[in-house]
Amino acid sequence: MSFEMWAEKYRPKSLDEMVNQKEIVERLKSFVKARNIPHCIFAGPPGTGKTTGALCLAHDLYSEGYREHLMELNASDERGINVVRETVKTFARTRSIGEIPFKIMILDEADNMTGDAQQALRRTMERFTETCRFILICNYSGKIIEPIQSRCAPFRFTYLSKEDQYAYLHHIIQRENVKMLDEGLDAIFEVCGGDLRRAINTLQAAASGGKPIEAETVYSVVGRANPADVREMIGLAMKGNFVSAREKLREMILKYGLAGSDIIRQIHIEIFRFNIPDQWKIRLADAIGEIDFRLVQGADEEVQLSALLARLTEAGYEMKRGV
Amino acid sequence: MYTAWTEKHKPRTISEVVGNEEATQKLINWINSWNKGIPKKRAAFLYGPPGIGKTVAVEALASDLKMELVEKNASDHRTAEAVQRFAGLASQYATLFGGKRMILFDELDGITGTEDRGGVRAVIEAIKTARCPVVIIANNAYDPRFSTLRKYCLLIEFKKPTILQVMKRLKEVCASEGIMADESALRLIAERSGRDVRSAINDLQALAQGRRILTYENMTWLAERDRKEAIFQVLRSIFYARDCEEAKRAIDAADVDPDMLFQWVYENAPYQLTDPRDLTKAMEALAKADVYRGRIRATQDWKLLRYMLDLMTAGVAMSRQRTKPSGWVPFRFPERVRWLAHTKQERQMQSLIGMKIRRRMHVSSVRAVKEILPYIRVIFEDNTEMAAGIAKWLDLDEDMIRYIAGSEGQVKAIVKNLGGQV
Repeated sequence: MSFEMWAEKYRPKSLDEMVNQKEIVERLKSFVKARNIPHCIFAGPPGTGKTTGALCLAHDLYSEGYREHLMELNASDERGINVVRETVKTFARTRSIGEIPFKIMILDEADNMTGDAQQALRRTMERFTETCRFILICNYSGKIIEPIQSRCAPFRFTYLSKEDQYAYLHHIIQRENVKMLDEGLDAIFEVCGGDLRRAINTLQAAASGGKPIEAETVYSVVGRANPADVREMIGLAMKGNFVSAREKLREMILKYGLAGSDIIRQIHIEIFRFNIPDQWKIRLADAIGEIDFRLVQGADEEVQLSALLARLTEAGYEMKRGV
Repeated sequence: MYTAWTEKHKPRTISEVVGNEEATQKLINWINSWNKGIPKKRAAFLYGPPGIGKTVAVEALASDLKMELVEKNASDHRTAEAVQRFAGLASQYATLFGGKRMILFDELDGITGTEDRGGVRAVIEAIKTARCPVVIIANNAYDPRFSTLRKYCLLIEFKKPTILQVMKRLKEVCASEGIMADESALRLIAERSGRDVRSAINDLQALAQGRRILTYENMTWLAERDRKEAIFQVLRSIFYARDCEEAKRAIDAADVDPDMLFQWVYENAPYQLTDPRDLTKAMEALAKADVYRGRIRATQDWKLLRYMLDLMTAGVAMSRQRTKPSGWVPFRFPERVRWLAHTKQERQMQSLIGMKIRRRMHVSSVRAVKEILPYIRVIFEDNTEMAAGIAKWLDLDEDMIRYIAGSEGQVKAIVKNLGGQV
């Protein structure tokens, strides 16, 4: 077994190694053939190969020394307008030496850029098209301003199919000599969906135990990796224990660093799985939507989500009374 | 009798000065160089922010070396004439009794205006002819008034100590006063002081004198002691108000910071309003107040403040419709304020690890903490060999390994697998 993060170790280096997103990969290969690329937006859920696709594209285009022609910025860490004005611009304006006359700038998690920064980016993209091509990576292209979208070729990445994910994990399992039961593999797909990065992390954490991986091993790893249990929190609130529910919430936000938007998305999913009357699910979805909107507007995560928990407490109480 | 702890627990020898090892060493070397005759720089200029031990270092050093310290500070007159008279002492090497002497001009920043006119020039003259070490202390050596003076001085910068160094000093003081103090309480004192050791020790004395135990709770209670009664009064008015007016009046009556009051109301609402329907209304009123707070922040339009206040006072007060009176329920200190202080260090550590992951794995540090760190944690708990490999690959230091692995045994095993090198 090798001792680095497998998600990185087994990241494909070249487009040929990518086993999923077939149509996208084909189009990217045609760019390589033409030795030219447009500005691109790679949108799609996490763990579906967006960053990998961008890195592979650069690798195939420039071959081995590709790092010199490439800059990767992560907008979650550097989201302000100054980064665009300084770092991005400085990189974009200088001409590349070599047979391909442009460089590539990868802006990861671009949906976290501020509006100002996006506006500044738009001008930069326009002015330096000759010397620099941008690949914007995001979960939702809707959060990218319209003028930028219209300058980019859009690519929509989708979750990996079960078969593709199995093929990938099998490759790692063989190379790393992991003992894996079929039920373990099924369990990984069940809990990670088509998010390959999460699947590989789960696989590695499960394998680190050193025993053959059963379904139970996978569930236990997932439970330990996600101590913030949204379902449990909802349960506490609905049973009338608001104070404990609020404490859980606080733990998620302050201790485990979960984002309010992630928590509320989880709550939304869980509410529809709960065994409660359907008309209540709709009523609660409305309440969740209202809180979600306030969070987007920049309200305090804990206070807003607490108000939602109180609403759940009340709902639990009224359901019991049969209202 | 009241003795200031800053005096009582002053360093007796220079090695006890908090932090600033480099600066104190430089000072010691310079003083020692006088043993080989008069050095090139006859004066040392100690500068840095207040309360970090500049004067104390000089005093301790003089006492270590059994030197007589002749001191002049801002409270003395420092006209040219006064300085000259004082400086006369500097031109004599030995004291009356044959001991060595050191001259100290403290708080030189304090030389101002017409009154002290010519003071700095006189200090320079004194240095030129000095036959014993002259030490000058000021907060800012780069004040234009000192531009000529600087040329004659060895510049020694004193820096603020770290929070941990301040805490260590506070611990020593507690130990000698026989006080058991919580780490978190001392951390808060150290942080609030802005790493000013003197003011931290003053605060510690105000909070802890006469106690055997100092916890985070009495810390915050005491620090807010003037505010506490005021806040309780407002809380009572809010949670037991009969009408809007009464609840709204509460906040006018007392000088309480609205954000702090918000935290108190938010904390106590579920304990005061136990009927779920009342609680929902109260929490919604608070959430709306929070929305107004956001709007104020975004627009800087402070007239919106009145709506925020309406909602968090009268809005909460009017939520009480069904909750049955259940006698006196004590008010609780806002947990969230405590949490924030407690978890600050943890969040800093997470983000440091996040940056390490980011350098290797093409994700933002934020996402790394949320999505990758949890799995690394599982690996660190289960497989020390793989953990060591990952620690090396990510270039984690021992503190980071300790944070991730949790138990000390596990940390030892991982470090051992790393060949003892971190």
